[in-house]
Amino acid sequence: MPRFSAWLRDGVGFDILLVGAALLFLVALAGAPLVYNVLMSFQQVDMFTLGSLIRPFVGFDNYVAVVRQPEFWLVTRNTLIFVFGSMSGQFVLGFALALFFAQNFPGASTIRGLFLVSWVMPGLVVGGIWSLILAGDYGVLNVILRSLGIIQSNIFWKSDPSFSIWAVIIANIWLGLAFNMLLLSVGLAAIPKDLYEAAELDGANAFQRFWTITLPMMRPTIGAVLSLGLIGTLQQFDLFPALTEGGPANTSNVAGFWSWQLSFQLYDFAKGATVSVMMFLLVLFASVIYVRSTRHEVRG
Amino acid sequence: MTRTYTPWFLLAIALGLAAIYLFPLYWMYITSIKSGSEIFANPPTFWPTNPNPAVFADVWARRAMPTYLWNSVVIAGGVTALTVVLGTGCAYVLARYRNGWIDAGLFCILMLQVLPASVMITPIFVGFNQVGLLNYPRTAVILAAAAKAMPFFVVLVRATFMSVPRELEEAALVDGNSRIGAFFSIVLPLARNGILVCAILTFMSAFGEYIYSKSIIQSPALQPASVGLSGFLGPNSTDWNAIMAYSAIYVTPILAAFVILQRRIVAGLTSGALK
Repeated sequence: MPRFSAWLRDGVGFDILLVGAALLFLVALAGAPLVYNVLMSFQQVDMFTLGSLIRPFVGFDNYVAVVRQPEFWLVTRNTLIFVFGSMSGQFVLGFALALFFAQNFPGASTIRGLFLVSWVMPGLVVGGIWSLILAGDYGVLNVILRSLGIIQSNIFWKSDPSFSIWAVIIANIWLGLAFNMLLLSVGLAAIPKDLYEAAELDGANAFQRFWTITLPMMRPTIGAVLSLGLIGTLQQFDLFPALTEGGPANTSNVAGFWSWQLSFQLYDFAKGATVSVMMFLLVLFASVIYVRSTRHEVRG
Repeated sequence: MTRTYTPWFLLAIALGLAAIYLFPLYWMYITSIKSGSEIFANPPTFWPTNPNPAVFADVWARRAMPTYLWNSVVIAGGVTALTVVLGTGCAYVLARYRNGWIDAGLFCILMLQVLPASVMITPIFVGFNQVGLLNYPRTAVILAAAAKAMPFFVVLVRATFMSVPRELEEAALVDGNSRIGAFFSIVLPLARNGILVCAILTFMSAFGEYIYSKSIIQSPALQPASVGLSGFLGPNSTDWNAIMAYSAIYVTPILAAFVILQRRIVAGLTSGALK
């Protein structure tokens, strides 16, 4: 026993205890549910069998049923539009702002920090505010766009089927832009300044310096930011109930929200689980990129 | 000669960009004190003609905000406590070693970080239903949300620990300290600020937690402010000054805390990513 307590106090036992407690918790509350999710997607689950672990297995029936849902392809398409629209908006605007705030001027880091308030706000509140701004007939965005001459007549962002997904994308870009900018700023700050001076002496112009120094040096950061953007976008949920509830007619519905609707509004837990397993495969892809890019960063 | 005026020129642009970016916040506060007819006026007024802050008291009482906010504090506090207690040690160990096991552990944690809440909520709900946790809905939400928050916390705090020099710890061990002693008397105090910042971030994000609470908590008396807000929010909502007043009451404490701690939070996030 004293040997055990010494092992715990001084040896590997201490480390194992610290990691073990956290991992055990995570396995119980994130790992096990994940496995359970996959299991459920192959079972027949309804309100009567909700309380039991052993349920009739139905093979790939749930998957077939989900793909046959009339809204399946629409939701898939929306998910892709949502992911690429949000990511490119957040990344391009975030990169531009990061480059701007990398200039040396008084207050640069303080003002840059203020941008992050969008990131710490509850998603539901962000959705509520944008719901007001994007309103069709009295929304302030339409007024601004009209006075700038960009649009001629009001756009009904939330209720027009061809714009509803963009309403959520706009709100999501606002929400995630600042975090993108911050991570990219960190990457920019890590580039040695003398590289730029040397390139300037050699006669490289600003664009050449960006192309040959900034971009290659930022590659690990960009990889991490893009994959985090993909992950964060797939995790986005709160904006949907606040803005469009997936409507009208599912034109702004994405996999994450659809899965929740199937489970908690239609009580079809098996289909909800099935959709989320499909979505998880997409996340898996993103996280492999993310882990690889952070590994380069840490070890590099 | 350009060097003297360029920074001030850039500062002006920066302020302009910040003003554009933060306009939605301004709009929230402004709309909350507008009258009903002014909100729907065309063209909209960018400064209320008839500011009326009475809506705040009204929303506070009519929407039972004290109950909702208290539940948010309970849930966010629980999530933060659980995350800090379990996550700190884990982050420390992951920062101290470099081998296959650590890589595997880190990979697991990163994988759990990427799981969308909407992937997790169905199995968690069904699982909690089986073990009877749904009878303690706030505890259930705390457990689920802590599992969601912990990976991010671990990744950030790990970076903090990596910036604590190993030599200090090794010196303490040479001086006869045990591992536990060195951890609590040397490493933790040095990493305190980083841990605190990450704890505050965890609290802030848990304060806005929505999906688990919405799905798990049925009784309005136990729901947090996010669920309370969703009760009168949706594609067809029109009660805008009440919604914006509710939102303003809800987010102002977070915004105030953020602005006060801004420097530290940004430093914590950036150093976390740099190391």
